[in-house]
Amino acid sequence: MTHRLDIDWTRCAGHGLCAELLPGQIIRDEWGFPVLPERPVAPGELAGARRAVALCPALALRLEHR
Amino acid sequence: MTATLAPSADTWTIGAPRLLAGLDRFETLDLPRHLATHGALPPTDRDRLIGLVDAIALAGRGGAGFPFAAKLRALAGPPREVIVNGSESEPASRKDRTLLRHTPHLALDGAVAVATAMGGRHVTIAVHDPAAALALRRAIAERRDPVRIRVERVAGGFVGGEARAVRRAVRGGPAIPPGRRVHLTDQATLLANAETFAQVAVALRLGPHRFRDTGSSAEPGTTLLTVGGAVTRPGVVEAPLGTPLGIVLSAAGSAPQPRAVIIGGYHGSWHAPLPHLRLSHADGRLGAGVVLVLDGSTCALGELARVTAWLAAQSAGQCGPCRFGLPALADDVAALLVGLPAPGAVRHAHAVTGRGACRHPDGAARFVTSALAVLGDEIERHRFGGCGRPMLGQLAVPA
Repeated sequence: MTHRLDIDWTRCAGHGLCAELLPGQIIRDEWGFPVLPERPVAPGELAGARRAVALCPALALRLEHR
Repeated sequence: MTATLAPSADTWTIGAPRLLAGLDRFETLDLPRHLATHGALPPTDRDRLIGLVDAIALAGRGGAGFPFAAKLRALAGPPREVIVNGSESEPASRKDRTLLRHTPHLALDGAVAVATAMGGRHVTIAVHDPAAALALRRAIAERRDPVRIRVERVAGGFVGGEARAVRRAVRGGPAIPPGRRVHLTDQATLLANAETFAQVAVALRLGPHRFRDTGSSAEPGTTLLTVGGAVTRPGVVEAPLGTPLGIVLSAAGSAPQPRAVIIGGYHGSWHAPLPHLRLSHADGRLGAGVVLVLDGSTCALGELARVTAWLAAQSAGQCGPCRFGLPALADDVAALLVGLPAPGAVRHAHAVTGRGACRHPDGAARFVTSALAVLGDEIERHRFGGCGRPMLGQLAVPA
Protein backbone atom coordinates (compact mmCIF):
# COMPACT_ATOMS: atom_id res chain seq x y z
CA MET A 1 0.00 0.00 0.00
CA THR A 2 1.30 3.45 -0.91
CA HIS A 3 0.65 6.67 0.95
CA ARG A 4 0.25 10.04 -0.68
CA LEU A 5 -0.17 13.49 0.76
CA ASP A 6 -3.29 15.27 -0.42
CA ILE A 7 -4.87 18.64 0.23
CA ASP A 8 -8.46 19.77 0.58
CA TRP A 9 -7.95 23.02 -1.35
CA THR A 10 -11.21 24.43 -0.04
CA ARG A 11 -9.72 24.36 3.46
CA CYS A 12 -6.06 25.20 2.88
CA ALA A 13 -5.30 28.82 3.80
CA GLY A 14 -1.60 28.65 3.04
CA HIS A 15 -0.36 28.75 6.65
CA GLY A 16 2.73 26.90 5.47
CA LEU A 17 3.22 24.75 8.54
CA CYS A 18 3.35 21.58 6.42
CA ALA A 19 6.22 23.00 4.38
CA GLU A 20 8.05 23.86 7.62
CA LEU A 21 7.55 20.38 8.99
CA LEU A 22 8.26 18.47 5.76
CA PRO A 23 10.99 20.50 4.05
CA GLY A 24 12.08 17.65 1.81
CA GLN A 25 8.58 16.95 0.59
CA ILE A 26 6.52 20.14 0.49
CA ILE A 27 7.52 23.51 -0.92
CA ARG A 28 5.39 26.64 -1.22
CA ASP A 29 4.27 28.36 -4.41
CA GLU A 30 4.55 32.11 -4.94
CA TRP A 31 1.28 32.68 -3.07
CA GLY A 32 2.35 30.54 -0.12
CA PHE A 33 0.27 27.46 -0.92
CA PRO A 34 1.86 24.05 -0.59
CA VAL A 35 3.19 22.18 -3.62
CA LEU A 36 3.00 18.45 -3.00
CA PRO A 37 5.55 15.92 -4.19
CA GLU A 38 4.59 13.81 -7.19
CA ARG A 39 5.99 10.69 -5.57
CA PRO A 40 4.35 8.70 -2.78
CA VAL A 41 5.44 9.17 0.84
CA ALA A 42 8.42 6.90 1.56
CA PRO A 43 8.11 4.54 4.53
CA GLY A 44 10.76 6.50 6.45
CA GLU A 45 8.79 9.74 5.94
CA LEU A 46 5.49 8.36 7.15
CA ALA A 47 5.76 9.37 10.81
CA GLY A 48 6.65 12.94 9.86
CA ALA A 49 3.83 13.10 7.33
CA ARG A 50 1.32 11.89 9.95
CA ARG A 51 2.55 14.57 12.35
CA ALA A 52 2.14 17.29 9.70
CA VAL A 53 -1.40 16.07 8.94
CA ALA A 54 -2.27 16.17 12.64
CA LEU A 55 -0.84 19.68 13.06
CA CYS A 56 -2.35 21.31 9.94
CA PRO A 57 -4.19 24.32 11.40
CA ALA A 58 -6.84 24.23 8.66
CA LEU A 59 -7.32 20.42 8.73
CA ALA A 60 -6.59 20.56 5.01
CA LEU A 61 -3.62 18.22 4.77
CA ARG A 62 -4.39 14.53 4.68
CA LEU A 63 -2.70 11.26 4.00
CA GLU A 64 -4.36 8.94 1.52
CA HIS A 65 -3.49 5.32 1.15
CA ARG A 66 -4.57 3.03 -1.59
CA MET B 1 -19.94 44.60 -32.00
CA THR B 2 -20.28 41.46 -29.99
CA ALA B 3 -21.24 38.17 -31.56
CA THR B 4 -23.64 36.25 -29.43
CA LEU B 5 -25.06 32.84 -29.93
CA ALA B 6 -28.66 32.72 -30.98
CA PRO B 7 -30.92 32.68 -27.93
CA SER B 8 -33.71 30.62 -29.48
CA ALA B 9 -34.16 27.56 -31.62
CA ASP B 10 -31.33 28.23 -34.03
CA THR B 11 -30.78 24.59 -34.81
CA TRP B 12 -29.66 22.64 -37.83
CA THR B 13 -28.54 19.13 -38.52
CA ILE B 14 -26.06 17.14 -40.55
CA GLY B 15 -27.85 13.98 -41.62
CA ALA B 16 -31.21 12.96 -40.21
CA PRO B 17 -32.14 14.54 -36.87
CA ARG B 18 -32.81 12.36 -33.85
CA LEU B 19 -32.77 14.58 -30.78
CA LEU B 20 -33.85 17.57 -32.85
CA ALA B 21 -36.49 15.64 -34.82
CA GLY B 22 -39.68 17.64 -35.25
CA LEU B 23 -38.07 21.02 -34.58
CA ASP B 24 -38.02 21.76 -38.31
CA ARG B 25 -41.83 21.90 -38.13
CA PHE B 26 -42.56 23.02 -34.59
CA GLU B 27 -41.03 25.60 -32.26
CA THR B 28 -41.61 23.26 -29.32
CA LEU B 29 -42.79 19.69 -29.04
CA ASP B 30 -45.62 19.41 -26.54
CA LEU B 31 -46.69 15.90 -25.53
CA PRO B 32 -48.94 15.14 -28.54
CA ARG B 33 -46.27 16.41 -30.97
CA HIS B 34 -43.57 14.58 -29.07
CA LEU B 35 -45.49 11.30 -29.30
CA ALA B 36 -46.33 11.91 -32.97
CA THR B 37 -42.65 12.52 -33.72
CA HIS B 38 -40.98 9.89 -31.56
CA GLY B 39 -43.70 7.36 -30.72
CA ALA B 40 -44.43 5.91 -27.30
CA LEU B 41 -41.58 5.03 -24.95
CA PRO B 42 -41.15 1.23 -24.73
CA PRO B 43 -40.84 -0.24 -21.23
CA THR B 44 -37.46 -1.48 -20.03
CA ASP B 45 -35.80 -2.98 -16.97
CA ARG B 46 -32.39 -2.76 -15.34
CA ASP B 47 -30.64 -5.47 -17.33
CA ARG B 48 -32.11 -4.52 -20.68
CA LEU B 49 -31.30 -0.84 -20.08
CA ILE B 50 -27.66 -1.55 -19.18
CA GLY B 51 -27.40 -3.91 -22.16
CA LEU B 52 -28.76 -1.23 -24.49
CA VAL B 53 -26.52 1.53 -23.13
CA ASP B 54 -23.54 -0.82 -23.44
CA ALA B 55 -24.46 -1.81 -27.00
CA ILE B 56 -24.57 1.81 -28.16
CA ALA B 57 -21.40 2.74 -26.16
CA LEU B 58 -23.14 5.82 -24.79
CA ALA B 59 -20.61 8.31 -23.42
CA GLY B 60 -21.86 11.09 -21.15
CA ARG B 61 -22.48 14.39 -22.91
CA GLY B 62 -21.59 16.76 -20.08
CA GLY B 63 -17.96 17.05 -21.10
CA ALA B 64 -16.04 14.19 -19.50
CA GLY B 65 -17.39 11.47 -21.82
CA PHE B 66 -17.72 8.96 -18.99
CA PRO B 67 -19.39 5.69 -20.11
CA PHE B 68 -23.00 5.87 -18.97
CA ALA B 69 -23.27 2.07 -18.58
CA ALA B 70 -20.46 2.20 -15.98
CA LYS B 71 -22.44 4.77 -14.03
CA LEU B 72 -25.51 2.55 -14.07
CA ARG B 73 -23.53 -0.52 -13.02
CA ALA B 74 -21.86 1.35 -10.17
CA LEU B 75 -25.17 1.99 -8.43
CA ALA B 76 -25.27 -0.32 -5.44
CA GLY B 77 -29.06 -0.33 -5.30
CA PRO B 78 -32.04 1.77 -6.34
CA PRO B 79 -30.90 5.39 -6.70
CA ARG B 80 -32.29 7.77 -4.10
CA GLU B 81 -32.44 10.36 -6.83
CA VAL B 82 -31.79 10.58 -10.55
CA ILE B 83 -30.40 14.03 -11.36
CA VAL B 84 -30.57 15.47 -14.85
CA ASN B 85 -27.83 18.08 -15.14
CA GLY B 86 -29.21 20.72 -17.46
CA SER B 87 -27.43 23.61 -15.77
CA GLU B 88 -25.13 24.08 -18.76
CA SER B 89 -22.62 26.36 -17.10
CA GLU B 90 -20.14 26.31 -19.99
CA PRO B 91 -20.71 29.88 -21.18
CA ALA B 92 -20.64 29.22 -24.93
CA SER B 93 -22.84 26.13 -24.78
CA ARG B 94 -26.50 26.30 -25.76
CA LYS B 95 -27.28 22.67 -26.58
CA ASP B 96 -28.83 21.57 -23.27
CA ARG B 97 -31.09 24.59 -22.89
CA THR B 98 -32.12 24.27 -26.54
CA LEU B 99 -33.00 20.63 -25.98
CA LEU B 100 -34.89 21.34 -22.75
CA ARG B 101 -36.69 24.43 -24.07
CA HIS B 102 -37.85 22.97 -27.34
CA THR B 103 -38.15 19.22 -26.86
CA PRO B 104 -38.37 18.78 -23.09
CA HIS B 105 -40.11 15.41 -23.17
CA LEU B 106 -37.07 13.64 -24.58
CA ALA B 107 -34.80 14.18 -21.56
CA LEU B 108 -37.80 13.57 -19.27
CA ASP B 109 -38.48 10.24 -21.00
CA GLY B 110 -34.86 9.21 -20.57
CA ALA B 111 -34.71 10.21 -16.91
CA VAL B 112 -38.01 8.52 -16.07
CA ALA B 113 -36.98 5.35 -17.90
CA VAL B 114 -33.60 5.24 -16.13
CA ALA B 115 -35.12 5.93 -12.71
CA THR B 116 -37.85 3.33 -13.17
CA ALA B 117 -35.51 0.66 -14.53
CA MET B 118 -33.03 1.17 -11.70
CA GLY B 119 -35.76 1.16 -9.03
CA GLY B 120 -35.64 4.88 -8.26
CA ARG B 121 -38.65 7.05 -7.54
CA HIS B 122 -37.31 10.58 -7.71
CA VAL B 123 -36.04 12.61 -10.64
CA THR B 124 -34.59 16.09 -10.22
CA ILE B 125 -33.80 18.30 -13.17
CA ALA B 126 -31.21 20.98 -12.38
CA VAL B 127 -31.43 23.96 -14.72
CA HIS B 128 -30.27 27.54 -14.67
CA ASP B 129 -32.05 28.84 -17.77
CA PRO B 130 -35.51 30.19 -16.82
CA ALA B 131 -37.06 29.35 -20.21
CA ALA B 132 -35.87 25.75 -19.91
CA ALA B 133 -37.33 25.53 -16.40
CA LEU B 134 -40.67 26.85 -17.67
CA ALA B 135 -40.75 24.42 -20.61
CA LEU B 136 -39.96 21.52 -18.31
CA ARG B 137 -42.65 22.43 -15.80
CA ARG B 138 -45.20 22.67 -18.61
CA ALA B 139 -44.08 19.33 -20.00
CA ILE B 140 -44.20 17.61 -16.60
CA ALA B 141 -47.78 18.84 -16.14
CA GLU B 142 -48.74 17.12 -19.41
CA ARG B 143 -47.32 13.74 -18.39
CA ARG B 144 -48.30 10.97 -16.04
CA ASP B 145 -45.16 9.36 -14.70
CA PRO B 146 -44.59 6.63 -12.11
CA VAL B 147 -41.88 8.76 -10.46
CA ARG B 148 -41.84 12.21 -8.85
CA ILE B 149 -40.13 14.83 -10.99
CA ARG B 150 -39.05 18.21 -9.72
CA VAL B 151 -37.34 21.06 -11.49
CA GLU B 152 -34.66 22.78 -9.44
CA ARG B 153 -33.31 26.18 -10.51
CA VAL B 154 -29.62 26.28 -9.70
CA ALA B 155 -27.34 29.29 -9.68
CA GLY B 156 -25.30 30.09 -12.77
CA GLY B 157 -21.56 30.43 -12.86
CA PHE B 158 -19.02 28.20 -14.52
CA VAL B 159 -18.13 26.00 -11.54
CA GLY B 160 -21.80 25.80 -10.46
CA GLY B 161 -22.51 23.30 -13.23
CA GLU B 162 -19.78 20.90 -12.17
CA ALA B 163 -21.42 17.57 -11.33
CA ARG B 164 -20.61 17.56 -7.62
CA ALA B 165 -21.63 21.21 -7.29
CA VAL B 166 -24.99 20.36 -8.84
CA ARG B 167 -25.46 17.44 -6.41
CA ARG B 168 -24.85 19.87 -3.58
CA ALA B 169 -27.12 22.55 -4.99
CA VAL B 170 -30.15 20.29 -5.48
CA ARG B 171 -29.86 19.34 -1.80
CA GLY B 172 -30.06 22.99 -0.83
CA GLY B 173 -26.32 23.53 -0.43
CA PRO B 174 -24.11 26.06 -2.17
CA ALA B 175 -23.49 25.49 -5.90
CA ILE B 176 -19.73 25.12 -5.47
CA PRO B 177 -17.66 21.95 -5.67
CA PRO B 178 -16.90 20.20 -2.38
CA GLY B 179 -13.29 19.82 -1.26
CA ARG B 180 -13.56 16.18 -0.34
CA ARG B 181 -12.82 13.73 -3.10
CA VAL B 182 -16.06 11.95 -3.89
CA HIS B 183 -16.24 9.34 -6.58
CA LEU B 184 -19.06 10.17 -8.92
CA THR B 185 -20.17 6.62 -9.19
CA ASP B 186 -20.24 5.26 -5.67
CA GLN B 187 -23.15 7.25 -4.38
CA ALA B 188 -26.83 6.62 -4.10
CA THR B 189 -27.65 9.28 -6.64
CA LEU B 190 -27.20 9.05 -10.37
CA LEU B 191 -26.30 12.25 -12.20
CA ALA B 192 -25.87 12.69 -15.92
CA ASN B 193 -26.11 15.44 -18.49
CA ALA B 194 -29.50 16.31 -20.03
CA GLU B 195 -28.45 15.21 -23.53
CA THR B 196 -27.29 11.86 -22.15
CA PHE B 197 -30.83 11.16 -20.90
CA ALA B 198 -32.29 12.33 -24.21
CA GLN B 199 -30.00 9.90 -26.04
CA VAL B 200 -31.32 7.11 -23.81
CA ALA B 201 -34.87 8.05 -24.80
CA VAL B 202 -33.90 7.87 -28.49
CA ALA B 203 -32.09 4.54 -28.02
CA LEU B 204 -35.01 2.93 -26.17
CA ARG B 205 -37.24 3.67 -29.14
CA LEU B 206 -34.79 2.73 -31.89
CA GLY B 207 -33.19 -0.28 -30.23
CA PRO B 208 -29.45 -0.93 -30.49
CA HIS B 209 -29.41 -1.98 -34.16
CA ARG B 210 -31.24 0.99 -35.61
CA PHE B 211 -29.38 3.29 -33.22
CA ARG B 212 -26.17 2.14 -34.91
CA ASP B 213 -27.47 3.18 -38.37
CA THR B 214 -25.60 6.45 -38.00
CA GLY B 215 -22.38 7.51 -36.35
CA SER B 216 -19.10 5.62 -36.23
CA SER B 217 -18.76 1.96 -35.34
CA ALA B 218 -16.94 2.80 -32.09
CA GLU B 219 -19.42 5.52 -31.19
CA PRO B 220 -22.77 5.16 -32.93
CA GLY B 221 -25.47 7.79 -33.00
CA THR B 222 -25.43 11.56 -33.07
CA THR B 223 -24.24 14.34 -30.83
CA LEU B 224 -25.24 17.92 -30.19
CA LEU B 225 -22.74 20.69 -30.79
CA THR B 226 -22.89 24.40 -30.15
CA VAL B 227 -21.09 26.15 -33.00
CA GLY B 228 -20.26 29.82 -32.61
CA GLY B 229 -17.81 32.61 -33.22
CA ALA B 230 -16.95 33.65 -36.79
CA VAL B 231 -19.47 31.48 -38.63
CA THR B 232 -22.47 32.50 -40.70
CA ARG B 233 -24.75 29.84 -39.20
CA PRO B 234 -24.13 29.74 -35.45
CA GLY B 235 -26.36 27.56 -33.37
CA VAL B 236 -26.99 24.11 -32.02
CA VAL B 237 -26.13 21.36 -34.47
CA GLU B 238 -26.96 17.67 -34.41
CA ALA B 239 -24.38 15.63 -36.32
CA PRO B 240 -23.42 11.96 -36.52
CA LEU B 241 -20.48 10.96 -34.34
CA GLY B 242 -17.45 10.37 -36.53
CA THR B 243 -18.23 13.36 -38.77
CA PRO B 244 -15.01 15.23 -39.63
CA LEU B 245 -14.94 18.56 -37.81
CA GLY B 246 -14.05 20.31 -41.08
CA ILE B 247 -17.42 19.25 -42.52
CA VAL B 248 -19.24 20.73 -39.53
CA LEU B 249 -17.34 23.99 -39.85
CA SER B 250 -17.91 24.38 -43.58
CA ALA B 251 -21.61 23.63 -43.06
CA ALA B 252 -21.62 26.33 -40.37
CA GLY B 253 -20.18 28.83 -42.83
CA SER B 254 -16.74 29.19 -41.34
CA ALA B 255 -13.97 30.79 -43.39
CA PRO B 256 -11.97 28.01 -45.11
CA GLN B 257 -8.82 29.00 -43.18
CA PRO B 258 -9.95 30.18 -39.76
CA ARG B 259 -7.33 31.84 -37.56
CA ALA B 260 -8.04 29.38 -34.76
CA VAL B 261 -10.69 26.89 -33.73
CA ILE B 262 -11.48 26.28 -30.07
CA ILE B 263 -12.74 22.81 -29.31
CA GLY B 264 -14.41 22.10 -25.98
CA GLY B 265 -15.41 25.64 -25.04
CA TYR B 266 -13.70 27.81 -22.45
CA HIS B 267 -12.17 24.80 -20.73
CA GLY B 268 -11.10 23.45 -24.09
CA SER B 269 -8.15 23.93 -26.45
CA TRP B 270 -7.17 26.29 -29.24
CA HIS B 271 -6.10 24.71 -32.51
CA ALA B 272 -4.47 26.15 -35.61
CA PRO B 273 -4.65 24.73 -38.11
CA LEU B 274 -7.74 22.67 -37.57
CA PRO B 275 -6.79 19.15 -36.47
CA HIS B 276 -8.07 16.20 -38.47
CA LEU B 277 -10.60 15.40 -35.81
CA ARG B 278 -13.74 13.37 -36.09
CA LEU B 279 -16.57 13.97 -33.64
CA SER B 280 -16.04 11.71 -30.64
CA HIS B 281 -16.78 11.86 -26.94
CA ALA B 282 -14.56 8.95 -25.96
CA ASP B 283 -11.36 10.98 -25.70
CA GLY B 284 -12.99 13.92 -23.92
CA ARG B 285 -11.52 16.48 -26.34
CA LEU B 286 -14.91 17.60 -27.57
CA GLY B 287 -16.02 18.42 -24.02
CA ALA B 288 -19.67 19.39 -24.01
CA GLY B 289 -19.56 19.94 -27.77
CA VAL B 290 -18.72 23.63 -28.05
CA VAL B 291 -16.82 24.56 -31.22
CA LEU B 292 -15.81 28.20 -31.68
CA VAL B 293 -14.20 29.80 -34.71
CA LEU B 294 -11.94 32.86 -34.79
CA ASP B 295 -11.21 34.44 -38.15
CA GLY B 296 -8.47 36.86 -39.19
CA SER B 297 -10.54 40.01 -38.71
CA THR B 298 -10.38 40.15 -34.91
CA CYS B 299 -7.54 40.68 -32.45
CA ALA B 300 -7.07 37.11 -31.27
CA LEU B 301 -4.94 38.10 -28.29
CA GLY B 302 -7.63 40.57 -27.22
CA GLU B 303 -10.24 37.82 -27.46
CA LEU B 304 -8.02 35.59 -25.33
CA ALA B 305 -7.44 38.34 -22.76
CA ARG B 306 -11.14 38.99 -22.34
CA VAL B 307 -12.05 35.32 -21.88
CA THR B 308 -9.12 34.75 -19.50
CA ALA B 309 -10.22 37.67 -17.33
CA TRP B 310 -13.72 36.21 -17.30
CA LEU B 311 -12.40 32.75 -16.36
CA ALA B 312 -10.46 34.28 -13.46
CA ALA B 313 -13.62 36.03 -12.27
CA GLN B 314 -15.46 32.70 -12.40
CA SER B 315 -13.30 31.17 -9.68
CA ALA B 316 -15.48 30.39 -6.68
CA GLY B 317 -12.54 31.68 -4.65
CA GLN B 318 -12.50 28.73 -2.30
CA CYS B 319 -9.15 27.25 -3.37
CA GLY B 320 -6.01 29.38 -3.02
CA PRO B 321 -4.12 28.38 -6.18
CA CYS B 322 -7.20 29.14 -8.33
CA ARG B 323 -8.08 32.33 -6.44
CA PHE B 324 -4.60 33.80 -6.85
CA GLY B 325 -3.32 31.89 -9.86
CA LEU B 326 -6.10 32.64 -12.36
CA PRO B 327 -5.90 36.44 -11.84
CA ALA B 328 -2.11 36.15 -12.22
CA LEU B 329 -2.64 34.25 -15.46
CA ALA B 330 -5.14 36.89 -16.65
CA ASP B 331 -2.57 39.60 -15.86
CA ASP B 332 0.02 37.71 -17.91
CA VAL B 333 -2.27 37.64 -20.95
CA ALA B 334 -3.17 41.31 -20.44
CA ALA B 335 0.56 42.12 -20.41
CA LEU B 336 1.10 40.29 -23.72
CA LEU B 337 -1.80 42.24 -25.19
CA VAL B 338 -0.10 45.56 -24.49
CA GLY B 339 3.23 44.27 -25.78
CA LEU B 340 4.94 43.48 -22.50
CA PRO B 341 6.69 40.19 -21.80
CA ALA B 342 4.90 37.74 -19.51
CA PRO B 343 7.58 35.32 -18.37
CA GLY B 344 5.35 33.89 -15.63
CA ALA B 345 2.48 32.75 -17.87
CA VAL B 346 3.48 29.14 -18.32
CA ARG B 347 4.52 28.84 -14.68
CA HIS B 348 1.18 30.27 -13.50
CA ALA B 349 -0.74 27.89 -15.76
CA HIS B 350 1.25 25.00 -14.34
CA ALA B 351 0.76 26.26 -10.78
CA VAL B 352 -3.03 26.06 -10.92
CA THR B 353 -3.29 22.72 -12.70
CA GLY B 354 -4.52 19.87 -10.51
CA ARG B 355 -4.62 22.11 -7.44
CA GLY B 356 -8.28 22.75 -6.79
CA ALA B 357 -11.48 21.09 -5.64
CA CYS B 358 -12.77 21.09 -9.21
CA ARG B 359 -11.27 21.24 -12.69
CA HIS B 360 -11.94 24.92 -13.34
CA PRO B 361 -8.29 25.95 -12.88
CA ASP B 362 -7.14 23.02 -15.03
CA GLY B 363 -9.55 23.96 -17.81
CA ALA B 364 -8.64 27.65 -17.67
CA ALA B 365 -4.92 26.80 -17.77
CA ARG B 366 -5.44 24.50 -20.75
CA PHE B 367 -7.38 27.23 -22.55
CA VAL B 368 -4.60 29.78 -22.04
CA THR B 369 -1.58 27.55 -22.72
CA SER B 370 -3.12 26.12 -25.90
CA ALA B 371 -3.92 29.66 -27.06
CA LEU B 372 -0.40 30.91 -26.40
CA ALA B 373 0.94 27.95 -28.38
CA VAL B 374 -0.99 28.99 -31.51
CA LEU B 375 -0.71 32.76 -31.08
CA GLY B 376 3.08 33.10 -31.09
CA ASP B 377 3.07 35.40 -34.13
CA GLU B 378 0.29 37.54 -32.62
CA ILE B 379 2.34 37.95 -29.44
CA GLU B 380 5.25 39.11 -31.60
CA ARG B 381 3.05 41.64 -33.41
CA HIS B 382 1.86 43.05 -30.11
CA ARG B 383 5.46 43.33 -28.92
CA PHE B 384 6.15 45.58 -31.90
CA GLY B 385 3.16 47.90 -32.07
CA GLY B 386 0.08 45.67 -32.16
CA CYS B 387 -1.83 43.60 -34.69
CA GLY B 388 -3.87 46.53 -35.96
CA ARG B 389 -7.16 44.68 -35.69
CA PRO B 390 -10.06 45.50 -33.39
CA MET B 391 -11.23 43.00 -30.77
CA LEU B 392 -14.60 42.06 -32.25
CA GLY B 393 -15.85 39.85 -29.45
CA GLN B 394 -16.08 36.71 -31.56
CA LEU B 395 -15.73 34.81 -28.29
CA ALA B 396 -18.80 35.81 -26.33
CA VAL B 397 -18.61 36.19 -22.56
CA PRO B 398 -21.68 36.48 -20.37
CA ALA B 399 -22.41 39.99 -19.17
